[in-house]
Amino acid sequence: MLFNSIEFAFFFPIVCGLYFALPQAARIYLLLVASCVFYMAFVPAYILILAITIVIDYVAGIYLERVAGRARTVLLVVSIVATCLVLFVFKYFAFFTGSFVGFASLFGWKVTNPTLDIILPIGLSFHTFQSLSYVVEVYRGHQKAERDFTIYATYVMFFPQLVAGPIERPQNLLGQFREYHAFDYLRVVGGLKRMAWGFFKKLVVADRLAIYVNDVYAAPQSHHGLQLTIATVFFAYQIYCDFSGYSDIAIGTARVLGFKLMENFDTPYHSRSVGEFWRRWHMSLSTWFRDYVYVPLGGSRVGPIRRARNILVTFGISGLWHGANWTYVLWGVLNGVYLIVSWITQPIVARLFGAVRLREDHPLRQALLIAGTFFLTCAAWVLFRAQSLADAGYIYTHWLHDWNWQSLATANFSERQFIPALAAVVILELIQVINRRVPLGEKVTRLPTVLRWPAYAGFIFAVILFGVYRSNQFIYFQF
Amino acid sequence: MSVRHDSPPSPASPAATDSAESNASRSHGRRAARRFSGLGRIVAFFALIAALAYGFDALVTAGLRRISTSKFGALNQVVGGRVNADIVVNGSSRALVHYDPRILEQETGLTAFNLGMNATHIDVQLAILRTYLRHNRKPRLVIQNLEAFTFVTTRKGEIYDPPLYVPYLDEPELYRTLATIDPVVRKWRYIPMYGYAIEDLRFTWVRGLLAWGGIQPWEDYIKGFNPRNLQWTEDFERFKAAVGDGLTYEVEPAGVQALRDLIALCREAGVELLLVYSPEYFEAQGLVRNREEIFAAFRRLTAETGVPLWDFSGSTLARRRDLFYNSQHLNVTGATLFSQELSRRLRDEYAGRLGKGAERR
Repeated sequence: MLFNSIEFAFFFPIVCGLYFALPQAARIYLLLVASCVFYMAFVPAYILILAITIVIDYVAGIYLERVAGRARTVLLVVSIVATCLVLFVFKYFAFFTGSFVGFASLFGWKVTNPTLDIILPIGLSFHTFQSLSYVVEVYRGHQKAERDFTIYATYVMFFPQLVAGPIERPQNLLGQFREYHAFDYLRVVGGLKRMAWGFFKKLVVADRLAIYVNDVYAAPQSHHGLQLTIATVFFAYQIYCDFSGYSDIAIGTARVLGFKLMENFDTPYHSRSVGEFWRRWHMSLSTWFRDYVYVPLGGSRVGPIRRARNILVTFGISGLWHGANWTYVLWGVLNGVYLIVSWITQPIVARLFGAVRLREDHPLRQALLIAGTFFLTCAAWVLFRAQSLADAGYIYTHWLHDWNWQSLATANFSERQFIPALAAVVILELIQVINRRVPLGEKVTRLPTVLRWPAYAGFIFAVILFGVYRSNQFIYFQF
Repeated sequence: MSVRHDSPPSPASPAATDSAESNASRSHGRRAARRFSGLGRIVAFFALIAALAYGFDALVTAGLRRISTSKFGALNQVVGGRVNADIVVNGSSRALVHYDPRILEQETGLTAFNLGMNATHIDVQLAILRTYLRHNRKPRLVIQNLEAFTFVTTRKGEIYDPPLYVPYLDEPELYRTLATIDPVVRKWRYIPMYGYAIEDLRFTWVRGLLAWGGIQPWEDYIKGFNPRNLQWTEDFERFKAAVGDGLTYEVEPAGVQALRDLIALCREAGVELLLVYSPEYFEAQGLVRNREEIFAAFRRLTAETGVPLWDFSGSTLARRRDLFYNSQHLNVTGATLFSQELSRRLRDEYAGRLGKGAERR
């Protein structure tokens, strides 16, 4: 079920009503059933795949506590391999076999490409990673194995974050299913406001920009350099608002029910370096890779060569996690390269700024660093969004060609649509900037009802009237 | 032992039990009220939002129905019963941009109106004609424009420009047809703002609000006709390259039945019907692989029903690229020439049947 669907507009109030009306013991069953309904609204059969992952890691968790020594490690590896195998079959089989066939053809070998003809279950990568974090944490002794199957299944399937995160850790979420969450007016209103903000990002910003981006990236060769540039900048905002909007709705939905999910984004385009960007972008995934890939590889406590290797491996896998395509892998590696280069050049850049007397807190220095980071991020997004490496290559080589200011529109995005699109981006940035200094949400809460309600109503109507509802899916569902 | 009714009730007495229950119930009520403190405010807020949404929807619909220009103006004339023309042209965008009612009027001496609607198929065109007949005096002649895809019905999810229909969903024929094609139309009608916000990228609701201030959209319609002052674009070359060895338009039984229904509708209403295949750029005609099959179906229908078919696809106009802006649509010059050619033929062949106006000319 999509958050931005009429079905969810009925589903959520019903679930909330039942949740607060039911006694504590029954609530977990309600959440599990609601999560199943939510997930089955996409393709009902997919729930079986989810069930397999849940059973594997539930059993693994319990046995990881019972066994010791080498058997424990073997059990961990078996459970990780089994969980990842599901992901491999559904997400990566075609990619790896296709790549192998392509590679073989370079040597003149004729290999038939085996096909499974299956579609990727929605959000598979998210709940796979959430399950993996559970078994690893149990293995490390940071988390007790969950004996209650209903609670464990709800932990993996909790509908607010089931299909696109945030990817939770068991230490944060599992215990919350045992807590009693009373109806708390302020918390519920806070959750609803967070949801409204997420809907603004998704419907008003992301989905309008998506119209332009889809037109240009579907046929980059039919568009001039300025359109390619605009589409790339638009995509940067589209993917941010799409994904962080989803996270806001997820966090808000959970908060209404009394759950606290981890934050996933912290205005990443205000970062002054690529490293900072990655600490503020998709934080639940970044920390997942840090904790379960980068640190076990040796992290930063090794020599510079191994550290660089660790960064590249981590980002390469992160790229592959995003999609079974070489464009994603290269996108990940490019970000790794950015990090290595910025780590090497950091002292030089600092010295350059020092030479022109721009201290660390100087606004111009900050603006230059933010702009530079944004440019590098956009350049990487080209790889992420392009349909093929050839398309990405075309965009990189034609960015600066034939800038025609007279013809900015595309087939489905008229010139008039730039007004709501740009206005939405400006409003987004203004609110984000103001919010860092003065928490707007709290300010509004303190207003008298006679002002507060019209403000809320105005915002809801603006989202409804200026939203775009045609490109329904959230980008990150496909991962 | 007698019970003194004026004594304070003892715990064992029924009155005491009632009172205890009532106290317990009050206390439970207070607990519940405390437990859900603030819920009423949330419910009231969303009830207010729902009421405002209904109000806003009604305001936009009423505003759009006040418009007297553009396509809304044309449709408002139709549902307001203010057209009452002698000749009515029905069809898709090809009808919309090909038939100039002013020329038809000039040549025949009869009043004329164009009902053509962008991207409509025969099923929706039939509903539009029914709606017209429901509100207006029956015309003397209905011209139904045909095209290669006449027998293709509207697919689910492909109703073009939904907000154009939303203000008129109380029209039974139109609503029934659209809701049958796509059940989402029920949401357009019954969920406030759905049709204007969810289905619309063009901010049609703004037009509805502006109409209350007397601000009308730009007038680009003349008696339902929408002339296009455009030059030939490269669309056709791209289209030709895309379709390769041509394309096929299905002759759907439902499409054939819709045209049959349209013929029956005119017959029952006692209205003369003329089927016209308006000019189509000659190179595009060759791209339709089953053109013969489509025309055979047209001929079968005309033979069965006796309704005449005038085919202008072989007209000299169809060979002049300068009269089209794409392979299917004549520009304003082409539309003028075609309307003149059609009117002359109407005058010549229908003079007796269409009554005084045509005879007078």
